[in-house]
Amino acid sequence: MLAYIGRRLGIVLLILFGSSFIVYNLEAYSGDPLAELRVSSAKNKEFLMQQLTKQLELNVPPPIRYFHWLQGVLGIFTGHADLGKTRDGLYVANEIAAAIPITIRLVLGATVLAILLGITVGVITAIRQYSRLDYTMTFVSFLMFSLPIFWVAVLLKQYMAIEFNNFLGNGNITGPWILGASIIAGIILAGFISGSRKRVLIVFAIGAAGTAVLLTLANVTHWILKPGIGIVGVGLLSIGIAIGMTSIIAGIDNRKVLFASLTVALAAIVLYFPVMALWSAKGMNVLLFVAPTLGLIVIAVIAALVFVKVDRGAAIRTTVLTAVFAGFFLLIEKLYKVWGVYIQADGINLRPIPTIGEISVRLSVHNFWIDLMDALVHVMLPTIALTLISFAGYVRYSRASLLEVMNMDYIRTARAKGLSERVVIVRHALRNAMIPLTTLMAFDFAGVIGGAIITESVFNWHGMGTLFRAAISNQDLNLLMGVFAITSFMAVMANLVADLLYSALDPRIRVGK
Amino acid sequence: MATKKKSAVEATTEANENAIALHETEGLSQGQIIRRRFFRHKPAVISLIALVFITLFVYSASGIHLGTAKHPITIPGWWPHSMTEIQDSVFCKGSIGCPGIAHPFGQDPIGHDYFALVMRGAEQSIMVMLVVGFIGGLLGTVIGAVSGYFRGWVDAVLMRFTDFIITIPSIIIGAVIGFKFGNLGVVALAVYLGFFSWTGLARLVRGEFLTLREREFVDAARVAGASNVRIIFKHILPNAMGVIIVSVTLMLAGAILLETALSYIGFGVQSPDVSLGTLISNYQDSFTISPWLFYWPGVLIISIALCVNFIGDGLRDAFDPRQRRRISRKDLLRATFAKRK
Amino acid sequence: MTISQDVILKVENYNVEFWVEGEFYPAAIDMNYEVKAGQVLAIVGESGSGKSSSSMGLMGLLASNARTSGSVKVKGTEMLGTNSATLRKFRGKEVAYIFQEPMTALNPVYTVGFQIIETIRTHFNVGPTEARKRAIELLTLVEIPNPEKSIDKYPHQLSGGQRQRAMIAQALACDPALLVADEPTTALDVTVQAEIIQLMRDLKDKLNSAVLLITHDMGVVADLADDILVMKDGKTVEKGTADQIFNRPQHPYTQQLLAAVPKLGFAAARTLEATATAPVLKLENLVIEYPKRGRIPAFTAVKDFNLEIMPGEIVGLVGESGSGKTTVGRAAIGLLPVKSGSIQVVGQEIAGASQKQLRSIRRNTGIVFQDPASSLNPRLPIGESIGEPILLAGVAKGAELDRMVEDLLASVELPRSYRNRYPHELSGGQRQRVGIARALALAPDLLIADEPTSALDVSVQARFLELLLDLQDKLKFACLFISHDLAVVDILSHRIAVMQNGVLVEQGPRDQILRNPQHAYTQRLIEAVPVPDPALQKAKREARRS
Repeated sequence: MLAYIGRRLGIVLLILFGSSFIVYNLEAYSGDPLAELRVSSAKNKEFLMQQLTKQLELNVPPPIRYFHWLQGVLGIFTGHADLGKTRDGLYVANEIAAAIPITIRLVLGATVLAILLGITVGVITAIRQYSRLDYTMTFVSFLMFSLPIFWVAVLLKQYMAIEFNNFLGNGNITGPWILGASIIAGIILAGFISGSRKRVLIVFAIGAAGTAVLLTLANVTHWILKPGIGIVGVGLLSIGIAIGMTSIIAGIDNRKVLFASLTVALAAIVLYFPVMALWSAKGMNVLLFVAPTLGLIVIAVIAALVFVKVDRGAAIRTTVLTAVFAGFFLLIEKLYKVWGVYIQADGINLRPIPTIGEISVRLSVHNFWIDLMDALVHVMLPTIALTLISFAGYVRYSRASLLEVMNMDYIRTARAKGLSERVVIVRHALRNAMIPLTTLMAFDFAGVIGGAIITESVFNWHGMGTLFRAAISNQDLNLLMGVFAITSFMAVMANLVADLLYSALDPRIRVGK
Repeated sequence: MATKKKSAVEATTEANENAIALHETEGLSQGQIIRRRFFRHKPAVISLIALVFITLFVYSASGIHLGTAKHPITIPGWWPHSMTEIQDSVFCKGSIGCPGIAHPFGQDPIGHDYFALVMRGAEQSIMVMLVVGFIGGLLGTVIGAVSGYFRGWVDAVLMRFTDFIITIPSIIIGAVIGFKFGNLGVVALAVYLGFFSWTGLARLVRGEFLTLREREFVDAARVAGASNVRIIFKHILPNAMGVIIVSVTLMLAGAILLETALSYIGFGVQSPDVSLGTLISNYQDSFTISPWLFYWPGVLIISIALCVNFIGDGLRDAFDPRQRRRISRKDLLRATFAKRK
Repeated sequence: MTISQDVILKVENYNVEFWVEGEFYPAAIDMNYEVKAGQVLAIVGESGSGKSSSSMGLMGLLASNARTSGSVKVKGTEMLGTNSATLRKFRGKEVAYIFQEPMTALNPVYTVGFQIIETIRTHFNVGPTEARKRAIELLTLVEIPNPEKSIDKYPHQLSGGQRQRAMIAQALACDPALLVADEPTTALDVTVQAEIIQLMRDLKDKLNSAVLLITHDMGVVADLADDILVMKDGKTVEKGTADQIFNRPQHPYTQQLLAAVPKLGFAAARTLEATATAPVLKLENLVIEYPKRGRIPAFTAVKDFNLEIMPGEIVGLVGESGSGKTTVGRAAIGLLPVKSGSIQVVGQEIAGASQKQLRSIRRNTGIVFQDPASSLNPRLPIGESIGEPILLAGVAKGAELDRMVEDLLASVELPRSYRNRYPHELSGGQRQRVGIARALALAPDLLIADEPTSALDVSVQARFLELLLDLQDKLKFACLFISHDLAVVDILSHRIAVMQNGVLVEQGPRDQILRNPQHAYTQRLIEAVPVPDPALQKAKREARRS
């Protein structure tokens, strides 16, 4: 196994050498850093040109210059990586080190969201093939494939940010919006139901009416300005998740697992006030942030072990997932509470959804929660934009994969053995269907990096994409190579991880058996 | 086996052998069957018509512009306003240059006719799409075919080469190229982009060739005396066409999105050439005042890409209808209640 | 012999239909039968007879576009139209299925042990340790080597026979009252098949289960079945005990079916006029090796192979999977490189020949392949496929080529108008005949037939073999007939050569090999072939036991 990884890494390095060599020369030969100076009318033009030549080693032919650069890069093995300097004299390595976390922040949420949502929708549409939901989702995903992200981003900026900020001004949801939202909610809910026309209409009516009521209530209580779901909300959601997870993973008639998950939900309810108090404490930091969720996970494991004696694996999975979600709900609740403070804060002034930047520059209040809120709010729009690109791909791919698997002989065998449809799908079909998805994840990761370049431009984030654009416009060779090296490396590593994941999931392709 | 039993065996086996119900494919070649299946896919057919219409409309309205800035080759279209002429823009409800009868897409702040600009941008984008598709398709097919057919070290070398190209995210190489060669004209840009978009197709074609070359009819052809060239072109390639066509179609959709994205960030089509991406980039801030400046290029990009995607889906279904169409619940209910004897 | 005579499965007025493009097509029409405990009912038929669909439909395992009607009662409980809970209770517990291809019927990502344990724990409330113990018991029962280790193996890590045993173990996990076996031995080698049939017989006796056997292989039927039901095009053509059906078939279709089945040892005499000319094919000290690929080491497929085929002679090359017989066939026509040794076709050396030489040598040879689905280019009309050798040899083109192609079509008893048809419009049997036409296009001296009938139905196969014999009689070509089916080889060959693991273990005149085999493997092979005669099979069984 290690030999395999070693071999693959070796090939990876070779490929990186090759492609970086090509890009280096491509860039070097096709640009002239001295072009600006040549046409300048400055008196010390010659001197400046000489200086620049010395700084950028322009009198050395590019292939040789490449090896100088490479030397610097290989310094990574001795601990002193030197990626050279930008044209402005800054260290490339520093610039990149500052930019990477920003790009990762941008990309991470979107990737995870796209994968989770995409696979879920893909699986559902595969199970409900040829239903109305299926056709709708197919059309929607085609639409998403065809959207230019920069165009969508501008639309998002307008409608989700500017309009939303305007709306926050008076905190009232107007009539037309309530009507529109109710109808859409009704349609979505009805889409999930199959059956007679009457049933569909009833569900639509209930959904629409329910939404309308909720929204009107929100209006009346000025919920938008001071949102929160309270302990009741958290409790209901946690119980709902407990039941949902149990019915998917272990089967709803598995009473023991159900009790264990409900215990976790109960714990979340009981811990509501203590956790809120904890999080309002002065010395808030990351540790306190994760502590409640970790605590819930511990409770989850204990509950599973206590209630369930056999098949502990499924039980633990269920309870831990419930715990994670419950912790998430508590977090949402806390954020709701912070929202009111955040909006009023100086520097935000009731216009919370930003259109540019990673953080609010003018924010004057700083504590853990405000900063977190700020970061989240800033990452919201770009995440939505980026998710739109990848989501559709995952839906199509997982749908196709699951459909193919459902036609396989072993699914018929599973049914012939008397397994319930739920077990057949979750245990037998999904496991096989997910295997090819790992390859998609690798490709998607590379694509997301590319998408990030556009998104950073639209939303004005200062990550790798911005560096890249600057490098090209300024003909900054070192900076370009630095960005290129890192992004290629990440893309290739993603490929390697995907391959390893594939072999881990598929026993037929176990490497180094 | 005595001869007197022959006729009885003959009768039954003849009946057996023709028991296969192949009504719909009676006397049809593979190509015709595929065409039939494609035309049954309604969204694809609609998209095909729409795409042809859009292309014809765009090119006829805007004309054809080739060559570089220094040596242009132009064939004019029927739209009266060119994109460079300036007319006074009209004031209207809080902004200038609203859409009207004279200028159905409105005017930009300077006074250019926006319809001409958008058509020009669409023309460039479609051209890039086609050139990239052609070059990428050609390269991908050739490399994949050679790699998959000959295997061995040829395959290893070509696949490593493909991996090189894959590791470079297309937008990065696109940006590098676009910035350098953008002013050599749109076609040049498209050619260079095409040189970097064939990798996915190459992998697929290689896979197809690897499978197909193991098929017995290839052995039979070899025994019959066919040379490698004949086997590749007459036997394997026609059977791999499905994968190639579908892949190239999807490549087209990706190409237009890539080109407009590059143009948006400034590394694709350069001025004075116009691309739908540059238009969006230029007018994204005037979105609230003159929304038509922002919407029309986007609508055009989406329509073209959507049509191509649907056509690709229809082609995929036509070439490879994997599952026999399972009946929808509605049809099942209808049928169940209809034929009850 | 049988302990209880309870009716386990009772099928009445049973219909299966499939909905395709707006219409319902019948797959099984008005079936009526019953199976008692300890009894084996075999449903036989050729492809398209509806035997598989009807059996899958018993427990609702058909695709969603299928519709069943009538009554299917398992131990008195109605299965059709019942709710899913009842169906699930019976599936796996009272009625268990054994499928044809264990490689695809077992989930590749779970161990066989897991899949067996899953069955047990779905129906019984036992803990994992106890279930595992029972799983090992089951694996021992089906005689899998090393049950403790095998239980944790994945399906792809087992051999074909072992996989089928694992599948049987999984089916028996809950002591089902009814076993439905859908072509359980079709994908297996002959010797393995004999073992599995033996196993099924023993298990049936031990557990007193009712068995519904679906197959097209009359030999297997003769070995296992107590009662037989013959199906054709969805209809029940004849029903009766094994003795009645085999010895006194009433319906013409049953009679033809039985007549078409090759019976080992009953073929007509075959003589060859001995001419003292040179051999058409001479293989000397042949060693064929598959070269090292990546990390898979080099594999010697054939070693020390010596064989000669005289003009006009048919030599049957028999062996099981992995014996190397296909490799020899491919090498004899130059499709595989040889490591050492010589291959001479009509006196010319193939081993090490250049492409040009090879092309000219190949004009004396033709090859017929096994899989009718992939032996013809789906994009070319069959006339073009047949005419290709003629065209490439420069013998004829244009109108003359068309005429030659039509003559070839006539010689294989296909209508001349088929010249412009496409492979997908022909049935499997017709496609194989096109294959012969193509192979004989240049009137070769040597024909290599690589398992040409393995994918064909019995009656189609009979027709094909008749045709081949006629053609050989007329054109007097030599033929290397490769097959795993001894009975088929029996009909055709003058001489037989037996291969095992890449080595030629025995060769000689047909009758001598079949009546007086010397090598132990040949004896085992002959012994394992099921003969479509229940009395004979029973005698063989008794002989085996003593």
